[in-house]
Amino acid sequence: MIKRLGHLFRLYFFQAWFSYRSLFAWSTPFSYATSKFGFPFFAMLFFVFMGKFVGFLDPMFIVIGNILMMPTTNGLYGISMTIGNERQFGAMSYLLGSPAPRAPLFLGRAFFHILDGFVTVLVALPIAMLIFHIDFAEVNLFMLACCLVLLSITTTGLGFIMGTVSLLSRDGWMFTNTLGQLLYILIGVNIPIERLPGFLQPLSGYLPMTRGILATRLALGGAGWSEVASLLAGEILVAAVYMVFGYTLFRLVERASLSTGSLDSI
Amino acid sequence: MIGNFLRLGIRQMNVQLRMRVLSLWSLALFFTQPAIFSAIGMLLARAVGNTRPDLVYTVLGAGIMGMWSGLAFTSTYDIRADRREGTLELIVGSPTPLRRVVGFRSLLNILAGSTSMLAAVAAALFIFDYSFSGINIPGVVISFSLLLLALWCMGIFLANILAWSRLSGTFVDLLEMPIALLCGFMYPISVLPAWMQQISAVFPIRWGLETLQDALKGSLIDSALVNKWLIALGVSFVYYLLARWFDRKVHDHIRITGELHSI
Repeated sequence: MIKRLGHLFRLYFFQAWFSYRSLFAWSTPFSYATSKFGFPFFAMLFFVFMGKFVGFLDPMFIVIGNILMMPTTNGLYGISMTIGNERQFGAMSYLLGSPAPRAPLFLGRAFFHILDGFVTVLVALPIAMLIFHIDFAEVNLFMLACCLVLLSITTTGLGFIMGTVSLLSRDGWMFTNTLGQLLYILIGVNIPIERLPGFLQPLSGYLPMTRGILATRLALGGAGWSEVASLLAGEILVAAVYMVFGYTLFRLVERASLSTGSLDSI
Repeated sequence: MIGNFLRLGIRQMNVQLRMRVLSLWSLALFFTQPAIFSAIGMLLARAVGNTRPDLVYTVLGAGIMGMWSGLAFTSTYDIRADRREGTLELIVGSPTPLRRVVGFRSLLNILAGSTSMLAAVAAALFIFDYSFSGINIPGVVISFSLLLLALWCMGIFLANILAWSRLSGTFVDLLEMPIALLCGFMYPISVLPAWMQQISAVFPIRWGLETLQDALKGSLIDSALVNKWLIALGVSFVYYLLARWFDRKVHDHIRITGELHSI
């Protein structure tokens, strides 16, 4: 039993490390940093000025929202690419042909992206404090850390789903990218959820990160456990549903590919 | 001579058009992404009580966004795709200069990107029920032409930069949002701090776009507008010359090192 668990852990972490390394190994520190911070930073400024033009008087809402969305670079785009690239680079048939259990293979693709996403926000928040003079005097640091870890984890559910979509379609990246941009609207990054049109508000509730971002905003304002507990519980529940759905979808696609032999060639 | 030139142009653009139309990614760049950015502008405006989005910046600005995003990715990824698929050697080895091929491709990319602007105009007319009665039509035509020229000059400039190094793609990825940010695609340039406005002056798109926005708001063709047109033309020409210089450098590099696939 212990030997079996050890094998699973080993498989999980090796897969996690190799898949993460294969995504960024070719990169230089500069291109790594720009891919992580470039688009999110300039998009954030773009939305701040857009808000300023239309008279939205709370630029800090946009700044903080965009920083809290940064883990999606890893959790959504990174994991989706990691899974999708297996097919693009021809490694998928080897993975599918191996006897290794699928859960650590599949879920292992998230581990270093979760760490990376968390570190990204940890780096970005103090930079934002300096640039935008954000006052975090009342911040509940412990709750903030909990929320950020949770946000880094919960984005991965969407990544697993979109990664599997990338296995099914050569245009998977387009779908991932479109979804990533829709998140700018739907999860309370740039626009408060309560100010969204009525038909969009329920949709927000079904998406990961919505409650996590709200909880983090509260923690930044000094909120304690009692105020954010229900939000965090909801966030965990939504994320778990997405992860289970992503994994199930992968298994279904895998099973279909075994009968048609088409996964690597579509 | 002219017949050959036109035939080359038509064939290049024909192939390029097929690639663009068959790529969902291009369609997302031209339509989906601008629509989402426009929606963010509208929802931000709605959040502060403005029920109607701004025609020039929020609706038509999305069209400009689509044109630029389409150009930034499609034009610059063309050479990268050639290198990956092994067709770059064939193009460089053929008697037709690479810059001519790149020039035609960029032209088609911009024209294809203009569908984004058409979609924005259609949205303004049929969804938001705007009227274009107050616009300065000759001003809009001239400004839009200059904007297309500015985009084309930047397109060929970026395409040549990308041929220089595999990692230069990072710079191009990094240019998409900063150019949109600095050139005021979806807000007036006056919203930006002065130092950002000064930086944006080096991009021809900023000048072309500013004149287009002025003309759409009904500004008369006065000396201020003409001056901006001249600046747009001048800065575009500088980019064209830089692109030519880069093009020679790339060819020299290929000939001296014998490397093409590996640059």
